[in-house]
Amino acid sequence: MRRLRALWMRISGLIHRRNNEDFSAELESHVALATEDGIRGGLDPVEARRQALVRLGGAEQTRQAYRERRGLPWLESLMRDLVYGWRTLGKHRGTTAIAVLSIGLGIGANATIFSMVSRFVLQPAPVGDPSTLMALHMTQDGDECCNEFSLPVYNDVREQAKSFSGVAAYYELLPASIGGYGEPERVWGQAVTTNFFDVTQIPILLGRGFIDGENSQQAIVLSAGLWHRRFNSDREIVGKPVILSGRAFTVVGVAPLAFHSVDQILNAQFWVPLGNVNQLAPIRNNQSDRGFHWLAAVGRLSPGITRSQAQAELNTLAQRLAKSNPKTDEGRGFIFEQAGTLPPRERGTVLVFLGGLTIVVLLVLSIAGGNVANLLFAQAASRQRDMAVRLALGATRWRLQRQLLLESLLLGLGGGLLGVMFSLWATKSLSSFHLPAPIPLDLSVRVDWRVLLYSFVLSGLSGLLLGLAPAWAASRPLLANALKGEDALARPGRRISLRSFLVVAQIAMSVVLLCVTGLFLRSLQSAASIDIGFHSQNLLLMSVDPRVHGYKPEKTVAFLTELEQRVAALPGVQSAVVTDMAPLSGGARSDGFSVDGHAGTNASSANADLYMVEPGYFETMGIPRIAGRDFGGEDAAGPKTAIINRAFVDRVFGGANPIGHHVSGGGTTYEIIGVAGNIKSRTLGEDLHPVLYRRLKQSIGSDPPLMGCTLVVHTAGNPAAIKEAVRLQIHLLDPTMAVYNEETMEEHVRSAFFLPHLAAALLGTFGCIGLVLAAVGLYGVMSYAVSRRTREIGIRMAMGAQPGTVERLILRQGMVLTLIAVALGWPAAWMLSKLAAGFLYGIQPHDILTFTLAPPFLAGIALVACWIPARRAASIDPMQALRAE
Amino acid sequence: MAEKTDVWQGTMTLMVLRTLEAMGPQHGYGLARRIEQTSGDLLQLNYGTIYPALLKLEQEGYIRSRWGISENNRKAKFYELTKAGQRQVRKAAADWEQTTEILARFLSPAEEA
Repeated sequence: MRRLRALWMRISGLIHRRNNEDFSAELESHVALATEDGIRGGLDPVEARRQALVRLGGAEQTRQAYRERRGLPWLESLMRDLVYGWRTLGKHRGTTAIAVLSIGLGIGANATIFSMVSRFVLQPAPVGDPSTLMALHMTQDGDECCNEFSLPVYNDVREQAKSFSGVAAYYELLPASIGGYGEPERVWGQAVTTNFFDVTQIPILLGRGFIDGENSQQAIVLSAGLWHRRFNSDREIVGKPVILSGRAFTVVGVAPLAFHSVDQILNAQFWVPLGNVNQLAPIRNNQSDRGFHWLAAVGRLSPGITRSQAQAELNTLAQRLAKSNPKTDEGRGFIFEQAGTLPPRERGTVLVFLGGLTIVVLLVLSIAGGNVANLLFAQAASRQRDMAVRLALGATRWRLQRQLLLESLLLGLGGGLLGVMFSLWATKSLSSFHLPAPIPLDLSVRVDWRVLLYSFVLSGLSGLLLGLAPAWAASRPLLANALKGEDALARPGRRISLRSFLVVAQIAMSVVLLCVTGLFLRSLQSAASIDIGFHSQNLLLMSVDPRVHGYKPEKTVAFLTELEQRVAALPGVQSAVVTDMAPLSGGARSDGFSVDGHAGTNASSANADLYMVEPGYFETMGIPRIAGRDFGGEDAAGPKTAIINRAFVDRVFGGANPIGHHVSGGGTTYEIIGVAGNIKSRTLGEDLHPVLYRRLKQSIGSDPPLMGCTLVVHTAGNPAAIKEAVRLQIHLLDPTMAVYNEETMEEHVRSAFFLPHLAAALLGTFGCIGLVLAAVGLYGVMSYAVSRRTREIGIRMAMGAQPGTVERLILRQGMVLTLIAVALGWPAAWMLSKLAAGFLYGIQPHDILTFTLAPPFLAGIALVACWIPARRAASIDPMQALRAE
Repeated sequence: MAEKTDVWQGTMTLMVLRTLEAMGPQHGYGLARRIEQTSGDLLQLNYGTIYPALLKLEQEGYIRSRWGISENNRKAKFYELTKAGQRQVRKAAADWEQTTEILARFLSPAEEA
């Protein structure tokens, strides 16, 4: 405490300079008192004063000691250096601006990518004590990873696993419509066991979580977002009813703003007790079936239990369960990881993606750093006289180095500040990318405290690292040369300068960057030419989910048929048809299919994506019908019919005519009545995939779609223009019907380009930044080389060298550096590009075009960067150059 | 006459505090003189060194200072103990006694071999 107080007083002593006079007065009075004593002792006044000063030990020394005690000498000199550094940077505005901009771009790129790392890898779930909340999964021998829980297995684990103080389960995605308080709206929520909020320890914002015995009650916890948006942040909402899919649920609480879901990806808007799942979700199977895995689970580790202890207990439990339920539990096990970390299935991909991007942005930063180091070298060269004078006057080398390091640290931190501002903008535009999925995902990235800390450390570190070499060089000028005004940093006999080395490294890195960028631009180009198999123009999509409004299947079909007819009659509409889900929605329902009578042979079974359609679907979507007939005339309860795509025919029937044959899958048999063209069903990047279309009217009762139904409208003109008219028709039929996923097919397909767009946008930006920075770096080095060789060039020209010869001399020097760099960078790019393989569309990671075009393109840029200084060299007037000495 | 000793590190603060406790408010010159006298003129005190020591004590809050008039009518800066200073004198004195006692045990002739 005392020390802190003293430190504080000393720091404030730095500011209150007037104390100097106070101390002078005190010393004066001291000397006067001592002199009087001396006179009293019999000395004459002059001698008495002299003795008094001697005994004091010298007034100046005392003053110095006093000053040092009063302030903090090291801090004072540091402040002086800082102020001096600030002024120096301010004097070289151009250099400073380029350096700060370079580092800013580098740090900005890094902060942006790190904000993704922070969001998806580092950020713990917004639950209480996240380090002891585990997400549990089931495993199956031979399967990679992971399955969800069935209700009986969950109950066993909850009752028997002592390593967990509580285990909660939840159904992850529950569609519903919410009514009352304005227009009905489609929302997604989760059905949870009543202990969910206790196990996760989520601090409820308002009201409470669920309590024991509430499992079958119609109670609801709202997300803060939904509460704000739809209920005007009504603080009296607890206890009031809301209409969820036509049923009255009583609000018991509001979840905190930060909480969307345990996995931090799904954006759930409400939670209801698990017992309500029967009414709300279209679950076919028996929920208490031990083999039906449909629940996600989280467990809270008991205090003092380590993860390996818990794992050991779960392993024993799995063996015990396998013994008592051999039919369903044989070969099953449990694994878990901290809740809110990346799901195990996606972890690998995401880590490779983020790791690759991190390498790329570190390359950008290194290239930027090369520039700044070069600038600092140039600055050091121009300040060598100043340094030499200070050295000659007795400054220590450390003092000079510290001065230069402080300056580069200031540059680094300035750049960091700029970079954070860049990344604020970049994360905002990243968050606006729309993922091709009809379910609500929260993928927004923000600049959080981790990103700020990372940027601060990274910019400080790069500032120091960049300053290190120039500071070391600058503090060691050849004194004699420097004071004479000659170049004192160029050591005699050294041929490869550090600066050339830097620029070679820079260009080599931009070769890598350019190749990777080229790959992803090519990938985007090839993705754009992917044949999706259906039209994307003049189509409007609009979804409704009558089931969550309490419609029975017959009523749903009647509603949809009526809607089709009404919309088709609208002016400007050519046709309208309902399906369950548009293709390219990121996923689809699928089942294994085999040909009846051919069971057993491998060739006759395949996994196919399932779509429900109504007659006219193929014409509306622009999917060619190749053989057989369209739907029409089927009875809702009659024998089921299906149309399959060409890939299905090739895979299952070996290309033979399938019309009239029967296929079975998911417990249902279909007669094949037609064949349609191939489409991209789930994602753009997929290989040709078998697809089976069935009649919506026949299947909606036995297999209700989770995502609701989508109306596809084919228009003559701009499809967006009739949105209002279509919505009006829906509301004329049922004013409470929630309408969602309204978009044109073009918008829908565009969001399917999410990954190639994102990758190309990120890498295109980084590639351009890197290329420009490297070109500026090369230009800087060549300009410097020319300015240093002015006299030499002057002599050459005086001896008769032609300007063209001089120009070639300089160009050759630059191109040699470029060639060395390309020779180093090209193989590195070749090796690194393998990392990108999983993210490319339709091209190989060793794409010939990219790898042949990148080096000459870069060489061209380098040529331009060298050409300007070369021209300057060629225009040197020998008379001027020689006289300049 | 015995050889004069320099004031060794760390003891100056205790001397200053103790002197202030004994004499009450005092100016720098008076303090320096008094310390010399108390030591029986065995200490060779560089008067100037007392001021940084006083400043340190003031920064630490053990003493405070104000301008006043000396006995022979000169303007001088007077120092006096604060409450914390009074506590510190007792504590430092006790510490010091313990230290010297321990050292004394080492230095006293061994009583038996």
